[in-house]
Amino acid sequence: MAAPVVRGVRKLLKLVDFTPVPRRHRYKKKWATTEPEFPASRLALQNFDMTYSVQFGDLWPSIRVSLLSEQKYSALVNNFDAWDNVSAKLEHLGAKDFVKEAISPQELEPESDLSPPPSLNYSPNLRCFTFPRGDISRFPPARLGSLGLMDYYLMDAASLLPVLALGLQPGDTVLDLCAAPGGKTLALLQTGCCRNLAANDLSTSRTGRLQKVLHSYVPQDIREGNQVRVTSWDGRRWGELEGDTYDRVLVDVPCTTDRHSLHEEENNIFQRSRKKERQMLPMLQVQLLAAGLLATKPGGHVVYSTCSLSHLQNEYVVQGAIELLANQYSVKVQVEDLSHFRKLFMDTFSFFPSCQVGELVIPNLMANFGPMYFCKMHRLP
Amino acid sequence: MAALGRQVCDWHRLTALSWACLSRRTPHLRERRRMSPSLFCKLTTVCSGESLQESSCVRPKKYVLDPEYSTQLVPCLHGEQRTRVEPKSSELEKVISSLQDMGFDEAHVNSLLSMQPTVHPQQLLDIISEFLLLGLHPEPVFMAMKKSPQLLKLSTVQMKKRSSYLRKLGLGEGKLKSLLHGCPEVFTMRQRDIESVVKVLKEKCLFTVQQITELLHRCPAVFQEDPSKLEYKFQYAYFRMGIKQRDIVRSDFLQYSVTKIKQRHMYLERLGRYQTPDKKGQTQIPNPLLKDILRVSEDEFLARTACSSAEEFEVFKKLLEREEEESESHVSEEEEEDEEEEEL
Ligand SMILES: C[S@@+](CC[C@H](N)C(=O)[O-])C[C@H]1O[C@@H](n2cnc3c(N)ncnc32)[C@H](O)[C@@H]1O
Repeated sequence: MAAPVVRGVRKLLKLVDFTPVPRRHRYKKKWATTEPEFPASRLALQNFDMTYSVQFGDLWPSIRVSLLSEQKYSALVNNFDAWDNVSAKLEHLGAKDFVKEAISPQELEPESDLSPPPSLNYSPNLRCFTFPRGDISRFPPARLGSLGLMDYYLMDAASLLPVLALGLQPGDTVLDLCAAPGGKTLALLQTGCCRNLAANDLSTSRTGRLQKVLHSYVPQDIREGNQVRVTSWDGRRWGELEGDTYDRVLVDVPCTTDRHSLHEEENNIFQRSRKKERQMLPMLQVQLLAAGLLATKPGGHVVYSTCSLSHLQNEYVVQGAIELLANQYSVKVQVEDLSHFRKLFMDTFSFFPSCQVGELVIPNLMANFGPMYFCKMHRLP
Repeated sequence: MAALGRQVCDWHRLTALSWACLSRRTPHLRERRRMSPSLFCKLTTVCSGESLQESSCVRPKKYVLDPEYSTQLVPCLHGEQRTRVEPKSSELEKVISSLQDMGFDEAHVNSLLSMQPTVHPQQLLDIISEFLLLGLHPEPVFMAMKKSPQLLKLSTVQMKKRSSYLRKLGLGEGKLKSLLHGCPEVFTMRQRDIESVVKVLKEKCLFTVQQITELLHRCPAVFQEDPSKLEYKFQYAYFRMGIKQRDIVRSDFLQYSVTKIKQRHMYLERLGRYQTPDKKGQTQIPNPLLKDILRVSEDEFLARTACSSAEEFEVFKKLLEREEEESESHVSEEEEEDEEEEEL
């Protein structure tokens, strides 16, 4: 009796995996001598249940089920490859360029003499395809295009929003303070606006991955000219290293990576041993944002972003950093209103309706992107 | 009127009984195929003749008045003249009248006779009698035959064996009706298949004998489940959802498809509205009642239990299906790997 039951349970546990784990991330049980009694992903869920049910109230269950189910991807077209062919191929699959869908109706209104509000200065030339709401199709893996570069980059569509919101303009000098593994760096380069781009990440192993991405997607002359510079420094020191330097700065900080933390044990920030580190995150985030703001030219713009739902890592960090800059550096920073921007993309994403500053994409089964928080700031001249 | 009705019923049963007794006493009846038509006609005449006389008053007019029928009847009742008569039609006639005597109306009789053209009418009569003998009424018997005409192909021996086995499982008398209604196949299935289902319930799922009786009575379709799938469903209830045997029986859990169970349970679980109880059977949130998860329509489930929208649930179901497919192929790959390792 006992043996068959045990065997049955083992089989069951295999079949009835608690949460779906992408295959590539599953660790092999046979290598683990002792299994964690309470896996970090469970601790993460407990933590979220406690904080987010308060923060989001009735919205939390639908966010929760989305976080625990398969996320949706988008395909960022590589403009360095034959982008028109690639776009046609993606359209053929039934996907649509959500950027074009959101923005072109605006351009079709030439008679409106109102100049667009500043938040509508979105970064140009980005082509990113998604399947329609409720469609769970997946994109086939990217392929090598005719020019020897990969044809598209698969990413969470919401990750493009911080880059779009940064509003790059031709000739900008740009800093990507926490850049690895490089999805947003790649998007920044796709705009064709970067006179030069500094891509930094503290972790050398992760900058290695960033280099690989650039290698597969960006032509050699752009990579090796002085247009792109990859570094591996502590981003918190950027204010001292290169103060008042950049037109646009992206500060895509380390955070609790909510979706990731629910699905993967490896490197999970909710491991008990990383509790201190986790508690220090908001502090680190404030420091990184402050450094990013200091590296910005007066009059320049910064976007702060995370893939966490936590107010403590989002709005509070923004407010904290602005206060810090005002008090300690007498630097004035203004938060820009992105509500127009939000309206543009409402068909593709679910936004949390009541952020005090910035915008937050909340996961929803109909459009399972995010979480992604982003807030645009203007360093006053 | 009601009293009359009851009387009629009892009478039906009696006729059926007497008929069954008779056929039991004359086992060679079942070997009619090997018999000469004349002998067969004689033998059947005795019995149906008896009931015919008693029941002529309730027989539909058609049979009484139709000259064709009556001419066929007469010679058979008077065996001597049998040589001139087509034995088959007269035999058929007797079966018809016997069925009517048992309480089947004309339409039912016609329908019964055409369900399995290859089955000899006499065999048909035998098996139907056997069902009535179990205490079932004509109507449910008819419905069962209609739903599952292969019942008519049973031999009375098979049928008796099966009903005595079912009685041993506690599914005698009053319980047979729902059994026949819910799963007529229970009489035609292979004994070995039934036994393996019962074995799983007993040995793998640890239901008590009484629980098994109640379970099979409430959800007869369980008989037809694949034993390993049944075990899986049980384990899902027990380990994944934390439901004890008693509640599995009471909620008719095993009657629902694994797909539906998983869809609704996992949806609630991921919404944060259902928790697997811990060792002490406790949860941090009160779980919804099983009946509000499984017994309700999807609309009701979404509106009251899940508090979610139909469009989101639709997407969830698609995602879950894909997850399951992929995790299954993952398991089989892993097993293959394990096997490979063992070979080394
Ligand atoms: C959310 S990820 C960035 C993702 C990246 N922007 C992308 O789109 O692919 C945060 C990154 O911050 C890096 N990081 C952590 N602490 C840092 C620090 N003090 N300075 C710079 N980077 C840091 C981590 O190594 C990690 O790669």
